[in-house]
Amino acid sequence: MAAIGHIVERTPSGEVLSRAQMRARLIPDCMVEAKRIANTVISGWHGRRKRGIGENFWQFRPYSDGESLSRIDWRRSARDDHTYVRDREWEAAHTIWLWADLSPSMMYKSKFGHVSKESRALVLMLALAEILARSGERIGCPGVMEPVSARNAAERLASALMHTPLSGGLPQTGMIRAVSDLVLIGDFLDPVDTIMARLAPLARRGMRGHIVEIADPAEEAFPYAGRTEFTDPETGEKLTAGRAEIVADDYRRAYFARRDSLGDMLRHLGWTFTPHRTDHLASEALVAVHMYLSGMPGRATHGGQL
Amino acid sequence: MSLLPFIFANPMMLAALVALPAIWWLLRMTPPKPVTEIFPPLRILAGVLKREETPSKSPWWLTLLRMLMAAAIIFAIADPVFNPRSNTLSADGPLALVIDNSWATAADWERRVETAEALIGDAEDRNLPVAIVFTADSEHNAVPGSATAARNRLAAASPQPLQPERTAAVNALKTALDGTAPGTLAFLTDGIETGDGKVMAELAALAPANLRLVEGRGDQAVAITNSANDADSMVVTASRLDTNSARTLPITAYDTRGRTVANGSVAFAAGEGVATATLAAPFELRNDFARIAIDGTATAGGTFLLDDGFRRRRVALLSGEARDQSQPLLSPLYYINRALAPYADLVQPNEADLAVAIPELLAQKPSMLIMADIGRLPDETYAPVTKWIENGGTLIRFAGPRLAAAPADDPLVPVTLRQGERALGGALSWSQPQPLADYPALSPFAGMPRPQDILVKRQVLAEPTADLSSRTWASLADGTPLVTTKAQGAGRIILFHVSAEATWSNLPISGDFVEMLRRSVQLSRSGGVASEGTTPGQTLAPYRLLNADGVLTSETGRARPLEISAGKAPVSSAENPPGLYGSEEGFSALNLLPRDTRLKPIDATGLPMAYTSEALIGAEAWSLKPSLFAVALILLLVDSAVVLFMGGAFARLRIPATTAVVIALAAAALVAAPGHSLADDGKPGDENILARLDKTHLAYVITGEAEVDRLSERGLAGLTEFLTYRTTLEPGPPVGLDIASDELSFYSLIYWPISANAPMPSPQAVSRIDAYMRAGGTVLFDTRDQFSSLGTNSGNTSPNSERLQAILGDLDIPPLEPVPTDNVLTKSFYLLSNFPGRYNGSPLWIEAQPDNGSQPTGRPARAGDGVSPIMITGNDFAGAWAIDGNGAPLLPTVPPDEQQREYAYRSGVNIMMYMLTGNYKADQVHIPALLERLGQ
Repeated sequence: MAAIGHIVERTPSGEVLSRAQMRARLIPDCMVEAKRIANTVISGWHGRRKRGIGENFWQFRPYSDGESLSRIDWRRSARDDHTYVRDREWEAAHTIWLWADLSPSMMYKSKFGHVSKESRALVLMLALAEILARSGERIGCPGVMEPVSARNAAERLASALMHTPLSGGLPQTGMIRAVSDLVLIGDFLDPVDTIMARLAPLARRGMRGHIVEIADPAEEAFPYAGRTEFTDPETGEKLTAGRAEIVADDYRRAYFARRDSLGDMLRHLGWTFTPHRTDHLASEALVAVHMYLSGMPGRATHGGQL
Repeated sequence: MSLLPFIFANPMMLAALVALPAIWWLLRMTPPKPVTEIFPPLRILAGVLKREETPSKSPWWLTLLRMLMAAAIIFAIADPVFNPRSNTLSADGPLALVIDNSWATAADWERRVETAEALIGDAEDRNLPVAIVFTADSEHNAVPGSATAARNRLAAASPQPLQPERTAAVNALKTALDGTAPGTLAFLTDGIETGDGKVMAELAALAPANLRLVEGRGDQAVAITNSANDADSMVVTASRLDTNSARTLPITAYDTRGRTVANGSVAFAAGEGVATATLAAPFELRNDFARIAIDGTATAGGTFLLDDGFRRRRVALLSGEARDQSQPLLSPLYYINRALAPYADLVQPNEADLAVAIPELLAQKPSMLIMADIGRLPDETYAPVTKWIENGGTLIRFAGPRLAAAPADDPLVPVTLRQGERALGGALSWSQPQPLADYPALSPFAGMPRPQDILVKRQVLAEPTADLSSRTWASLADGTPLVTTKAQGAGRIILFHVSAEATWSNLPISGDFVEMLRRSVQLSRSGGVASEGTTPGQTLAPYRLLNADGVLTSETGRARPLEISAGKAPVSSAENPPGLYGSEEGFSALNLLPRDTRLKPIDATGLPMAYTSEALIGAEAWSLKPSLFAVALILLLVDSAVVLFMGGAFARLRIPATTAVVIALAAAALVAAPGHSLADDGKPGDENILARLDKTHLAYVITGEAEVDRLSERGLAGLTEFLTYRTTLEPGPPVGLDIASDELSFYSLIYWPISANAPMPSPQAVSRIDAYMRAGGTVLFDTRDQFSSLGTNSGNTSPNSERLQAILGDLDIPPLEPVPTDNVLTKSFYLLSNFPGRYNGSPLWIEAQPDNGSQPTGRPARAGDGVSPIMITGNDFAGAWAIDGNGAPLLPTVPPDEQQREYAYRSGVNIMMYMLTGNYKADQVHIPALLERLGQ
């Protein structure tokens, strides 16, 4: 009996890039809802429909005590008895850090999935980079690329990845300096506590996170039967099940319980959690993350599975 | 019967050994080769798969282990028995059985019967007559008879709570055999030597062809042989037969109704046959001891009966002075009363007239009569008192001014007294007040340490006589007697040469006085002494008798009344078995063994003929079955451990070698080094208190409703954080208080969320809160119901408010008012006009300040002394303050307005500042005026 799952070669980033751009073409521009922007705001491409720092005129309003005198628009104030201040529209760009887990376990593809998990993760990451760059957000990749604000950010990210392949595990977040959004794509098969121990400090630093969990259908459904020896691609550990089918129910229960608890804990942090299977379309996950990034709550489509 | 040293009880089971190769083959079987699959979420799978994993091949030694296990079980079921019995009776004459059925055989009587039955069976096989005789029976019938008759007699025999009468039994056997030499003479003995110890010689004199001495193991032959009531414990002496190894036996004292009163243990050293145990119990409890038994040995010898010789004495008190109770400390009887009340029943006369009082007291049969400072008794009372003493009464007299002035011919003093007293110290004397000397060795006070701080200033003096020193129980440092005594008839007179109150010496107010009196009381005869008649010989009917198992029964059987004659201790016998004799009112205990008997093994040295010594049956033939099963079980445990180890169950427990060494060394050091132990005078909860003293803590009342308590805790944590950031107050973590038990005084403010679902606090808890508020603390009640009454009738109060009313109903509450705009609460840190929480609109109620009409209305803050002891709000402060671990608010405000939350925090800050600074903040607003007045 042929094995259900196998390990695939690393996907070249050029191929992924083209697939990602294809996906990204389907998605409208994404303007990240800059709710908690404090320090990373720099003058950027698009107005925020709010008063703030920027170039364009927004409104006149009456001067109130305590404001700097230099902000008074004397020309307007001279027209009547009140004193006015000129407000400008707030123009800001947001920094978004994208990151995909490329550990050995991501190289897995079963015969039920269309592509390997790693390939899907890269596509999602680059597609997001493409969409966000179109709307002028700053795109960065922890450990690989400093945030840039450029139309061709996806290409630059792809080439940066070619030179600095992503490592496994969770990202080095030292270069993330302040409040910004973080999109993590991976299979998150580590114990929940380990993951949360890494993520909770980020949340405490004020980052908003969006987790996309990529799963192969075989991992979810456990379609194995008979005497089977399972191997962990990361540790090489072996485990033999006498009759794999009898543990299938227990395994599925444990698998989904782990996913639910991870999702719950992330939601407690205020983060979002998007599970995704490689036999579904990449656009589904892309749309979901896109919605979260634009401040819209994710819809429960496909029975919660995307 | 067999060449092997053992035989199999079920040899057929050995056939199962054939199955071993099949078991070998089954154990060697390996599962099929698995399909190999790569599976990233292996860790999740491992969690559900653990129990199923099997190694593909078990190592040969594990297989061997399991084979051994199977073989051990098969052999165990086959039941090999070592040392099977064989018939070795001599056919030269009848079988003679001399069987001890004394007290020490009760424990293993069944095995003795089995052994005897086996011997009788052997005799039956060889057609020999059997003569059987029991040594502890009252009648010995040793006529040889058939084996059946012997078996019947054996079945009818039972162990007796008596010592064996071996000589009589051997004589009976001799008479019955009438010169015939017995073939085999088996002596089934308890192993304890009795009488002259020549029983073996007597048996040998019967010239049997084969003499056997059959003994049990003798470890049940332990007897309590004496008990003595010591100063603060009862010392029990026990003796044992088997002195090979050290052994500790528990000892229990029971009262008359069989309840356990005290426990102790007797520890025999190896090689020692006698040991003592101490039963420590207060004197009153020791009075209740009725029976002392060695636990686990149900024999009559292991039970020691006590009679009322240990009971409390009745002590009559007499004083010569008018009983003026208005100055009790000057009354001598006061000190005696206080000293003896725990140890004795005290009786005092109803009449002051001694002529009436003394016969009245003697009619109550006291054991002891104490006369404090009585110089002269009425003449007609001397005779009955003397008679009472000669019948065994003890008279204690204390000196005093009256005794000192009494004529010298008083018959009721132990020594001749000089008239007048001797004063030590004082203006006209060279001498100093005298301390006490060491107690003489003969005195019952011997053993007490010499009192250092007792000074005698005044005493009566004895005329020196030749035997004065031998009758002195205590003397002063200069040698003059302080306590003298004289035996008179069966009784005794004791004289303390000082008064019983503290004017002559400070002896009566010392602990030694108590001990001296207590020891004197111990000497007196118990059970009451009558002043009429004498009781030279007494006959006591059997009341309760011990059976062979050491249990008191009311069956008296053929026991005859016990005759007690003075000066001779009664001995237990077949007529007078051990037990209690007398009646319920008073009984005398007769124990099996005379006092201080030592159990000695039978001496068989120097016999003219050889004899064989054997153990009881059942001891020699022992089965290998239990040990084989044990081996199989151990192998099973080893196998399980190996399987677990191979399965990786201990992988997580694996400790690095260095760590293990360090741990081992630390453990060794811990064991070796004697701990530096200090007296621990801490109380439980002290650590908590100390931890909370160094910082201010916000506190809340634990209502018992988990959600409310969690919110309170989180709320106060939020306020703590806010305070830390915004003010110089940096409180510690919030503290939940159980108001019924925790110390409240460390907290300046206690937040109490009222919940109608929580249990109502007990009245004691509410009164503690009342005390807390009186002592300066403040309680912030939060009904959290500002909006909960919406939708109901507006006149109704919410359940939370009703609960608050119920709680406040028990409190002493001052009049309340909503915080006025000029109160310092509105200005203590932030300027506030209202105090919102999660809800807005409920006023904050505080103690109404006295309306000070004279104050000018323009003042920014009203000066008021003190801090309101109570605050009430309905705005749910804690709900607004509550934050989670990441600092995000837990609950939305109503309406959802972050500004309101900010104001809620500010309200909290103002309240805390008000709590901690009080009216100091109110004074702050006057600083400009004060400075102006100072001319700055």
